[in-house]
Amino acid sequence: MLPLSLLRTAQNHPMLVELKNGETYNGHLVSCDNWMNINLREVICTSREGDKFWRMPECYIRGSTIKYLRIPDEVIDMVKEETMIKNKQSRDQKGGRGGQNQRNRPAARGNFGGRGNKPGGPQKLFQKQKPK
Amino acid sequence: MASGLDSFVNHTVSIITSDGRNFIGTLKGFDQTINIILDESHERVYSTTSGVGQVMLGLHIIRGDNVAIIGLIDEEIDNRLNLSSIKAEPLNPVVH
Repeated sequence: MLPLSLLRTAQNHPMLVELKNGETYNGHLVSCDNWMNINLREVICTSREGDKFWRMPECYIRGSTIKYLRIPDEVIDMVKEETMIKNKQSRDQKGGRGGQNQRNRPAARGNFGGRGNKPGGPQKLFQKQKPK
Repeated sequence: MASGLDSFVNHTVSIITSDGRNFIGTLKGFDQTINIILDESHERVYSTTSGVGQVMLGLHIIRGDNVAIIGLIDEEIDNRLNLSSIKAEPLNPVVH
């Protein structure tokens, strides 16, 4: 299981994020990306010493500043379901990787051979030079 | 590419982070940047005046940047430890 799949599954769940500087952010995960950048909502920020608190409606945290994330225990069981559904979907898709769906693609690519024949293309330039 | 961590998955590991903390838990997964999923984790807090304290934490994602050491724990030996009798200085953070 990949850490970032677990994080994606934790969307809409509460979590605690500790930054490298020791500050912690408690809130609900709204979204995350492949760099672990995250959006939190209804956030309580706690200072490094744990003596100062700030409330904010939302915040965005750059992934590289994170030390660790604490996630509700039940989220790990939900990842398994999600990956199983994904696997089933890709198996059910017609053709799949390298299947029949791709048979027509090389012909379509061949259309690029038509470049240069259009009016205003390279041929016109050639004609202009002819009278000289 | 096979990583040396593959054999640790679903085993109990001890992780020392670069801020000098020690997390114990079940390694559930990792990626190419050594981000780590640690399940049923707890932190061991060392002190010279009293025994080793254990703080239950639960499910964690530890960012690879902060991981200094990952060690496999022999549970049989670990269960025999009397943590309350162990006194040790806490680790210092890694100096970059």
